[in-house]
Amino acid sequence: MFLTIKYLVLNTFLPIAYIIRVNYQVIVIFSIVCLICSLLIYMLVYIYFKSKNEKKQGKWRLISDLLIRKAIFYDDDDIEEETVIPVTDRAKKLMRNKHFRKLLVEEITLAKKNITGTSADNLKHLYQQLSLDKYALKSLKSRFWHIKAKAIQELTIMEMKEYITQLYTFTNDQNELVRMEAQTATVQFNGFEGLRFLDIITYPISDWQQIKLLQQLSCVPPVNINIDAWLKSENSSVVVFALKLARNYHRFELHDDILLCLDHKDPQVRLEAINFLCEIYTDETSDALISRFLKEDFKQQLAMIKAMQNIGSEKDILFLLSLLDDKNHEMKLSAARALAKIGKNGLSSLQDHATTAGYPLNEIVMQIKGELAA
Amino acid sequence: MSWQTFILHAFTYGILLYSILLLVCYICIGAFSISETRTYLNKNSFTDYRVLASSTEAPSMSIVAPAYNEGATIIENVRSLLSLHYNNLEVIIINDGSKDDSLEKLIIAYDLYKIDFVVNEQLPTKPVRGIYKSHNPVYRKLIVVDKVNGGKADALNVGVNIAQNNYFVCIDVDCVLEQDALLKLAKPFLENSTQRVIAAGGVVRIANSCEIEGGRLVKVHLAKQFLPRVQTLEYIRAFLLSRMAWTRLNGLLLISGAFGAFDREIVIKCGGYNSNTVGEDMELVVRMRRYMEERNEPYRVSFIPDPLCWTEAPSSFKILGRQRNRWARGTIETLRIHKVMFFNPRYGLLGMLSYPYWLFFEFMAPIIEFVGTIGLIIYCLTGPINWSLFMIMGGVLSIGILYSIFAIMMEVLTYNQYRQKKDILRLVLVAILEPIVFHPFVVWSSIRGNIDLLRKHNDWGEMTRQGFAANKKV
Repeated sequence: MFLTIKYLVLNTFLPIAYIIRVNYQVIVIFSIVCLICSLLIYMLVYIYFKSKNEKKQGKWRLISDLLIRKAIFYDDDDIEEETVIPVTDRAKKLMRNKHFRKLLVEEITLAKKNITGTSADNLKHLYQQLSLDKYALKSLKSRFWHIKAKAIQELTIMEMKEYITQLYTFTNDQNELVRMEAQTATVQFNGFEGLRFLDIITYPISDWQQIKLLQQLSCVPPVNINIDAWLKSENSSVVVFALKLARNYHRFELHDDILLCLDHKDPQVRLEAINFLCEIYTDETSDALISRFLKEDFKQQLAMIKAMQNIGSEKDILFLLSLLDDKNHEMKLSAARALAKIGKNGLSSLQDHATTAGYPLNEIVMQIKGELAA
Repeated sequence: MSWQTFILHAFTYGILLYSILLLVCYICIGAFSISETRTYLNKNSFTDYRVLASSTEAPSMSIVAPAYNEGATIIENVRSLLSLHYNNLEVIIINDGSKDDSLEKLIIAYDLYKIDFVVNEQLPTKPVRGIYKSHNPVYRKLIVVDKVNGGKADALNVGVNIAQNNYFVCIDVDCVLEQDALLKLAKPFLENSTQRVIAAGGVVRIANSCEIEGGRLVKVHLAKQFLPRVQTLEYIRAFLLSRMAWTRLNGLLLISGAFGAFDREIVIKCGGYNSNTVGEDMELVVRMRRYMEERNEPYRVSFIPDPLCWTEAPSSFKILGRQRNRWARGTIETLRIHKVMFFNPRYGLLGMLSYPYWLFFEFMAPIIEFVGTIGLIIYCLTGPINWSLFMIMGGVLSIGILYSIFAIMMEVLTYNQYRQKKDILRLVLVAILEPIVFHPFVVWSSIRGNIDLLRKHNDWGEMTRQGFAANKKV
């Protein structure tokens, strides 16, 4: 019995093993060719279904457009919670399809971004009537960051203020995109008050997010919020953002607090503080900058001298003249520009110095004169 | 075992081992590329670039565009650059001692006058003859520099010296940029708060046969001629797969000289473009990375897969041969300059992975291929045909085709620039033909590049372009 089995096994597998051994290279090439064919088939099938889907989506788009149009032009001056915007049976049936819902949400949010007033309220009402907000809330629990972030963005655009508490919890989320969208949401709903997340965040706010938030805030009326606390934040990016806020909203009263930022350990904070002082300054600001000049890094030193072009006065002429002999060309040029902008005395001191110093200062003076004349 | 058999076995198994390593690399590149592209697309779906376009807080940028004998198209090209969507921008055109009337044309078209300007020579360059600005406030962003001819690297260094902004974008003046290209390229510099982004690159695509009007891309078409078409596939493979994968690992060594953005401060600190190499674009990125590694500063080189820049590909074997010859020399020179990094743990991933990959699979691949092919021919002519060697060659060939098909699939699934089904099928056909028709020529050009370098022939090689005038929509 045992011998029979052994005989059978050998008879069955040995030839295969032999073929494999002999033709393993053929098998490798054959597998690669199979892979190529599968990729090709996959690609062609993908293209086929994509074009088919595009046709289907074209039809769905018509349905959703009709729905959105109905909502926008819904003739009721005072839309209430119980008001029902008529939805066709076909659309109701399609609402069970997640792909249709996705497309509808895309269309509604796109329309909502471009309209305001009653029509926007109607769209918001339609969004809630179709329970799309509930689906978005469900997405907030997704384990995928992009689904979560998309849901937050959707709720923000649709102005679902009632969910602010849920969204606020994401403002310090470990995923950057999620927390960015949540921060955007709180500012969108509450304007300057929404910036309270700055009190708690431990992750840095990227420059991109700062630009986004500042742009959002520029659309709401300014409120005198308490920036002082953020200037003392442990999170350096919060301090930088607070400095930008102070500069953009001309918070003169913070001048002295911001002078303290010139001694901050983070060079980026110091640089932003200098930028603030370049625009909002007193008679003593230039002294504060000069007193810290020598212990600063080059980047900050240069920013200080560029600031002097705005805030410098005749008492700073001597200091600026001393920089004309600096080895660094940029420093020399900035100091010369600052002197030229101080006034007649500054310019004449610069010219006198240039006459004795010769090249390149004499040519720098020519360049600056040209700039002033242009 | 006779010595002939030993050589034959060593040769066969050597090539087999190399092919297996290459296959592993391709698989890894494919996997990393998928992951990076997916992350980018997910992230990008949240981005509204208009925020950056209107913001005063957007980083200031300087475009540096060297021009040499571009008189025929320079006015149009500069107009295209001036119309880009970006607020804090200056456009610096460097006339690198052109022998034609480029400068005169610019002076007339843009109402330029010579200004007093002291160039801050932070990077040594050939002398600057004059700097021009426009009387017309509409062109206030424009600066034209006239200098003594010194080559592309030298011209770029002049641009870096003159640029006033923190970031500069180097571009080939004859490239066509997407209107939002700068907005997209600026974003990586703003995103990362833990690592300093020292450079960012974007995808360069082939513009042959595309419709271009007034310096803007109107409609994308697949190139009609075979050579540009096969280069389209090459570019898709290089940009969508290879560069995305290396970006995932933060090991990208090359940002195309046709379009890339750089942190000006770091470029100056590490000495600017190297005028002694013809691969100045790769050499600069490697040097910047080396500089950051040596100082232990956290940094990143970013790359974005959006098609941002369109360029004309060589459509004759003569010009293509010169280009590939130059690329080969550039790679060798860069690897030679930075040989200290080879398997040097001090340079982390750069020394342990990026550099060896470029050495073994970019520099050595054409040499191994060339030697392999010659060997195969000799064996076939002198002795019994070794089928297993043929099989290995066939395997390598089919892996190449598989990789190309995968690249086309990635293109279809992501940006899908060529929307017609027949264009995709044409690309597939090109993928099958490429290893037989195109690739041997590229390998031969690289070998010639190696020989030229040994002979110390180190010129740039004239690159004549047809221009986009023929592609205008009728």
